[in-house]
Amino acid sequence: MRDQWSDQLSDYLDDELGRPEREALDAHLTGCVSCRVLLEELRRVHARAGMLRDEPPDRDLWPGISRKIAPAQARRALVFSVPQLLAAGVALMLVSGGTAWLAGRRGAPVVGPSAMLATPASKGEASYAAAIAQLEAALDAGRTSSALDSTTVRALEHSLATIDSAIQDARQALAADPASAYLNHHLADTMRRKLELLRQASALATART
Amino acid sequence: MTELSPGVGVETDAETADVALAASGDGRAFERLYRAHVGRIHSLARRMAGPEVADDLTQDVFVRAWDKLGTFRGEAAFGSWLYRLAVNLILGKRQTRNSERVHFDAGASLETAPAMATEPELTLDFEDAIARLPDGARQVFVLHDVAGYKHEEIAALLGIVPGTSKSQLHHARMALRGYLER
Repeated sequence: MRDQWSDQLSDYLDDELGRPEREALDAHLTGCVSCRVLLEELRRVHARAGMLRDEPPDRDLWPGISRKIAPAQARRALVFSVPQLLAAGVALMLVSGGTAWLAGRRGAPVVGPSAMLATPASKGEASYAAAIAQLEAALDAGRTSSALDSTTVRALEHSLATIDSAIQDARQALAADPASAYLNHHLADTMRRKLELLRQASALATART
Repeated sequence: MTELSPGVGVETDAETADVALAASGDGRAFERLYRAHVGRIHSLARRMAGPEVADDLTQDVFVRAWDKLGTFRGEAAFGSWLYRLAVNLILGKRQTRNSERVHFDAGASLETAPAMATEPELTLDFEDAIARLPDGARQVFVLHDVAGYKHEEIAALLGIVPGTSKSQLHHARMALRGYLER
């Protein structure tokens, strides 16, 4: 079946027809059973396409990808190696401080390597805040000196806002359920991500200054 | 286009951080992004170009994404950006591929395909039927009905006019209606 009406049925289905054509086809459909049947079949094809499931490949493709990006990864690491090294010490202190702060909140002993850096909760939180401020200052310097272009700054600000929102949510949830191991871990992980993002951003700004 | 279809545009906090980390050279963060998106990208490659080249194309997409991460501006979700990058790469390579698939004859399909498949040899599943569409009809169908692109966008991607995109889509749907599960 192929005629002036059936050829317009996909456009009709997708609302791609102008008003006069649509009204004419509406009138035709009222009296044409075969076109109504065909329209329903096309509608089912469209709906079926929307239900297709995405499937992963049969084999893991990551090893091949990893090999191909390895040289570029090394180049990027080289570019940021000096500022990253400078920032790494701060980041380590921050993560330790954040962990200690959380441990202090729980009132539980700190276990593992962080135990050596355990501090009272208030001190841990203060260390975290101080280091965040230090990194944000470095980022601000990058903004002011135009070391970071506006697009990069927007992307960073968006990411930081997202993470700050997640930290705020986690803190509120913890206030309601302070003993939750999951929430404590989630908050620590989210704080770690903020620290890492700020560390990378300040390293980027430093590298371009 | 900022959102392609439901789910693609959803970006978690963790993913936002992973994108930033990967852009600064963190391979582990990029691997997490790969794990999260490989199914969608591989399915796109398989449907657009065929299963025999889907693995290679998927790898190429992620290598290209790694190289281009510095240009990701965060204006769309990472998944949308990656998907568009994949479409561009797959279409860019289509001229050099030598497809060995057996295709429908578009004209014959329109004139002779039954409303519903009833013969044993026609019991292909829907995915197989898509794979056997002619290249142009298959690409337009996947981009429009599966990925959610509009005709104007498809026309720009394929270097055709929107009217041709609409016609190809109609041909594809006509051919595929015989392969719907009952």
